[in-house]
Amino acid sequence: METINLTSIKKEFLVEASQQTAFEVFTQKIDLWWPHSHHIGSSDMTEMVVEPRIGGRWYSKHTDGSEANTGYVLTYQPYDLLVLAWQIDGDFKCNPDLITEVVTEFISEGPTTTRVKFEHKDLHKLGNGKVVDSMDQGWGEIMDLYKQFVKQTII
Amino acid sequence: MNSQLAFNALGDPTRRAIFEKLQYRPMAVVDIADGLPISRPAVSQHLKVLKEAKLINLRTVGNNNIYELNREGIIAMRSYLDKFWDDALANFKALAEKTEKEK
Repeated sequence: METINLTSIKKEFLVEASQQTAFEVFTQKIDLWWPHSHHIGSSDMTEMVVEPRIGGRWYSKHTDGSEANTGYVLTYQPYDLLVLAWQIDGDFKCNPDLITEVVTEFISEGPTTTRVKFEHKDLHKLGNGKVVDSMDQGWGEIMDLYKQFVKQTII
Repeated sequence: MNSQLAFNALGDPTRRAIFEKLQYRPMAVVDIADGLPISRPAVSQHLKVLKEAKLINLRTVGNNNIYELNREGIIAMRSYLDKFWDDALANFKALAEKTEKEK
């Protein structure tokens, strides 16, 4: 099977807040900044939660009482680094076998200035794995197009 | 290519099911509807939304309408994720700065 280039989304920006504030808001207050319109639950989302420890769950709560997993915590290192496993695949399902890393670094550049380096890695894994395995002609074409696209956009 | 539209179109579980089916091969409406607990007109309506979001294409073969994935639409999903993180991280930045000010 053909290897697909590693792809990722990278963002880097300054936040006018201390490293501790930035980290705490990112983790403990994720519910307040996560766009509530985006979830894979069976009903409207009421809360997004990241449990603050390695192995902690990352999930959303919903109006019907259900919960939907987004992934889990791979690295929890206050106030420098948070690595989350994003396990939602290209079909918008949580796939326990899928791990794409969402890495967020918090770099102190002053008492109230923090540089945030964000990267969502391994996006090539988000496609439908079953289809990748089948490697039919159509999917081969998709991958070719995808690789062209990635080459254009990779930072 | 409208990524937002593409992702919104996939916000519906039935449309996601249809989109998933079409990942295996192009299909006629009758085959798409097979196994789905909704009427043929409802399936057609969902197909229309997916088509408008440029996630699928319609091809006519003889008398049959065949639907297939729009490859560029799939790429749009990745673009969507990029946009999603932009929005989410802008929210985060604003909240972190507000929290800092209130300390």
